[in-house]
Amino acid sequence: MTYAVGDALPPFTIHSVDPAAMKQWAVFLADPNPIHLDADVVKAKGLGDRVINQGPANVAYLINMLMAAFSGGRIEAMDTRFLDNVYGGDTVTACGTVTGVEDARVSCEFTLDVEGRGPVNSGTATILIRT
Amino acid sequence: MDGLPPAPDVAGTSLDGTKPFTISAEENATLCRSTGVEPAADGSAHPIYYYIATQVAMGKTVAGVCETCEFDVEDGPMMGSSGVRYSEPLLVGESYRVSGEILSLVRKQSRKLGVMDVLTYRLRLHKAGDGACVLETDNVWVLPRKELAA
Repeated sequence: MTYAVGDALPPFTIHSVDPAAMKQWAVFLADPNPIHLDADVVKAKGLGDRVINQGPANVAYLINMLMAAFSGGRIEAMDTRFLDNVYGGDTVTACGTVTGVEDARVSCEFTLDVEGRGPVNSGTATILIRT
Repeated sequence: MDGLPPAPDVAGTSLDGTKPFTISAEENATLCRSTGVEPAADGSAHPIYYYIATQVAMGKTVAGVCETCEFDVEDGPMMGSSGVRYSEPLLVGESYRVSGEILSLVRKQSRKLGVMDVLTYRLRLHKAGDGACVLETDNVWVLPRKELAA
């Protein structure tokens, strides 16, 4: 597989972010913050009307996109900025573009986009493509 | 900042963990499927365990880190950014330990959020066996200081 600057990476989509998965992530993260579990709490805090996905789960979608795009490769470094929330029921798509190719490393930039709202995460990564 | 009390001086606070974190095959599989993929067949864990393992096994809970910063976790800390540098893949069945520290807590004025403290902390994940460092992560949290709003 060869890569070139400007190549678009195949997108990775979650068609409906599942509130049941948020309950699992509360256990994974040992973090029972109710904004991920109870829509009434989200409403009471004025943050919306649906449960809010855990930020690291959003990063996991981006990682899934990178791992599929660079099958057999390994993420060496990744930086992600959190721009907005993802809510239960949202459709999210991770997509990216190659920004550099040097020896065995590919650099890329990426976003996680919510359908109808735009980017909620952005960032960069470096992938080691020969391990 | 003019007119505002300084942020608590917490830089250097240790976040070293005391208990190992083991990535179980069962939890890794559940986690992978919760994000729409199958677990890897080569024994590697989902790379997002960089965040999970360091958060769960660091020496303070999220609420405890907030308390150190004199911030009530109920006031809603927000993730600002997260970065990671891996030295090697994370493995299912491997046990890891965490070391780390708070790097800074900086008070800022934001047009959108008002007064806020920006917390930056660094965590490292080590193999429990030989102590080798497998990754380093820097996380930035935004702590809105509603009580300091004009």
